[in-house]
Amino acid sequence: MTIADASNPLSNPTIAEKKLFDRCRAMRATNSRTSAFGLFAETGLPHRRMEQWKWTDIRAALTNLETPSIDLAKQTVEVPEGACVLIFDGVAWKLPETLPEGVSAHRQSDATPLKTIEGLPLGQLTASMTGQDSSSDFVSIEISGKVDQPIFLDFASAPAETAFARLAFNILPDCSVRLIEAHSGNAAFSSTLIEFRLQSGASVDRTFVQRASTAQSVGITATAVLGEKASFVQTALGFGAKVCRVETHVRFEGAEAHAELNSAYLAGDDHHIDFTSHVTHAAPSCTTRQLTKGAVSKGGRGVFQGKFLVPRSIGQFTDADMQHQALLLEDGAEVFAKPELEIYADDVECAHGNTSGQLDEAALFYMRQRGIPAVEARALLTEAFIVEALQTAHEAVRDQMIDEARNFLRAEG
Amino acid sequence: MRSMLNLQNLHATVGEGDEAKPIINGLSLEVPAGEIHAIMGPNGAGKSTLSYVLTGREGYEVTEGSATLEGEDLLSMEPEERAAKGLFLSFQYPIEIPGVPVMTFVRTAMNAQRKLRGEDEISAPEFIKKAREVGAALNIDAEMLKRPLNVGFSGGEKKRLEIFQMMMLEPRFAILDETDSGLDIDALKTVADGVNVLRRSDRGMLVITHYQRLLDYIRPDRVHVLAKGRIVASGGPDLALRLEKEGYDGVLGEPA
Ligand SMILES: Nc1ncnc2c1ncn2[C@@H]1O[C@H](COP(=O)(O)OP(=O)(O)OP(=O)(O)O)[C@@H](O)[C@H]1O
Ligand SMILES: [Mg+2]
Repeated sequence: MTIADASNPLSNPTIAEKKLFDRCRAMRATNSRTSAFGLFAETGLPHRRMEQWKWTDIRAALTNLETPSIDLAKQTVEVPEGACVLIFDGVAWKLPETLPEGVSAHRQSDATPLKTIEGLPLGQLTASMTGQDSSSDFVSIEISGKVDQPIFLDFASAPAETAFARLAFNILPDCSVRLIEAHSGNAAFSSTLIEFRLQSGASVDRTFVQRASTAQSVGITATAVLGEKASFVQTALGFGAKVCRVETHVRFEGAEAHAELNSAYLAGDDHHIDFTSHVTHAAPSCTTRQLTKGAVSKGGRGVFQGKFLVPRSIGQFTDADMQHQALLLEDGAEVFAKPELEIYADDVECAHGNTSGQLDEAALFYMRQRGIPAVEARALLTEAFIVEALQTAHEAVRDQMIDEARNFLRAEG
Repeated sequence: MRSMLNLQNLHATVGEGDEAKPIINGLSLEVPAGEIHAIMGPNGAGKSTLSYVLTGREGYEVTEGSATLEGEDLLSMEPEERAAKGLFLSFQYPIEIPGVPVMTFVRTAMNAQRKLRGEDEISAPEFIKKAREVGAALNIDAEMLKRPLNVGFSGGEKKRLEIFQMMMLEPRFAILDETDSGLDIDALKTVADGVNVLRRSDRGMLVITHYQRLLDYIRPDRVHVLAKGRIVASGGPDLALRLEKEGYDGVLGEPA
């Protein structure tokens, strides 16, 4: 299929979709772009009639694409001292003149779309909109050492209709990298795709904060493929947007690998935040630990969709745990959750838990009896609840993340 | 003698709307500054309800009467304002506060009270010094003060932590709701010593208990019997002894 063929497969494209089709048609066609866009064009922007998107309707949120009028300074985290900073301005990646030892970066013209983005419409859209001759950069980074210096990825796009950012990390055997990301750009629609390939014994530690206004829609998609004894640890704090989807796909391909997915979300009025993840245990004796904690105030909406897939025989001796706990801070707060365990192997240990509830009135009264005003008592209890999911965050920004959460809760109360 | 806590013809209900149930039925009580009064009474008499009414818990509604602390109307204040005025309740069933270490909790409470009173915050070294001293006096392990408040604590440990908080916050008026139940013999003595340390001419206390034993250590100035939501008998310390011997039926002359 050519891009021209794919230009209008939808019977009723929205203004935003038409713009995206036009933009793609104007770019040089390459095989991978054509196929990535073709896959995207089959569905268009993800919408509520697609099972995986029933609670997060990007198409409805993005009916038209208008550049937000104001440049909002959105507090996320500050660059820790000594970090290597990569800035994405909405079009291009600005790389530092010298990269730390063990890090090399290349601008890519075109990369073969990885199998791992199949079925990820935002991933496919981002893949087709990045690379040479297109509106934005695609950078691939190879890690060939144990890199201690944190790499700070600053997604700081200027006000624009769209911002598509794409990175690919290849972590060589026994090498490691630690990333800190601030997702606080100003595009009406920003979509980020990061692909990680962890070779045997490699490790990635990723911490990020997402913050956006209710004039913005955000997608943050990551895929990680893990070789033997590799380790992928991700810690996220999300405040949502008009709609925000954080999607993480982990696939174990070598034995005894380990993944940790910890997320905290705080959604205020008119903010929507969705944490979706999919972990495939396609190798024996791998472990997954997943903890998602959220708090939602009036008019906010939180979504958790988690899935563990353990195929027959190759998934033997899987040990996986998925927990989602949400607090509805006020009437009019919404949380939707769908934890799924799909297990075909027989010798596995898989557990999951899913709760949502309100702050304990007895605890609130107890705190007020000791002199702590109601607003502060609520914030303190909520913060204590949320913080558990931030324990694995990079130590250089963990306290900042907790402060951000606290400030949000004080302001909400 | 100046009356510190003054309750006049207090009536209160528990529960919302149609479910509201009268529990306090015309209760009058005065505790002068510098005195400790004990309240005894059968299960379900309304002792804990009284403590919640005075501290302003939601769902406890005063339908008649008045309650003042040092002449100020308690009933029109928020719970935290009452606390800042110096009202402290040692809970019959202390609540678990997950994720908030004891030290953080007490310091937050102390500074919140100071802020409400327009005072400066306590400095970190000053706070730690005080916590160490009080902890040592109550035989509380320093490790325990780092754990989330009351989470996984034994019944007796929770009660000891209530007294720890009381001694840290130095309230003007304290209500101890069955602080003695759940304490072992040695802990009872330690806790009573703590309470006696706080005995002062400008401080008052109301000690709710079922057992004479606590009153051996904390000598009350007066003993009251609360039954069916009212004070039905009052007397000196010997009233507690009589209750222990004769039971409520014996003392009150009718089934309570
Ligand atoms: N939320 C409530 N709804 C209905 N009834 C209640 C509620 N709370 C308390 N009560 C009732 O009020 C009465 C008084 O209870 P309260 O806890 O004050 O008793 P108490 O004197 O402290 O007893 P104890 O010695 O057992 O601690 C009891 O009959 C109790 O069942
Ligand atoms: Mg009671």
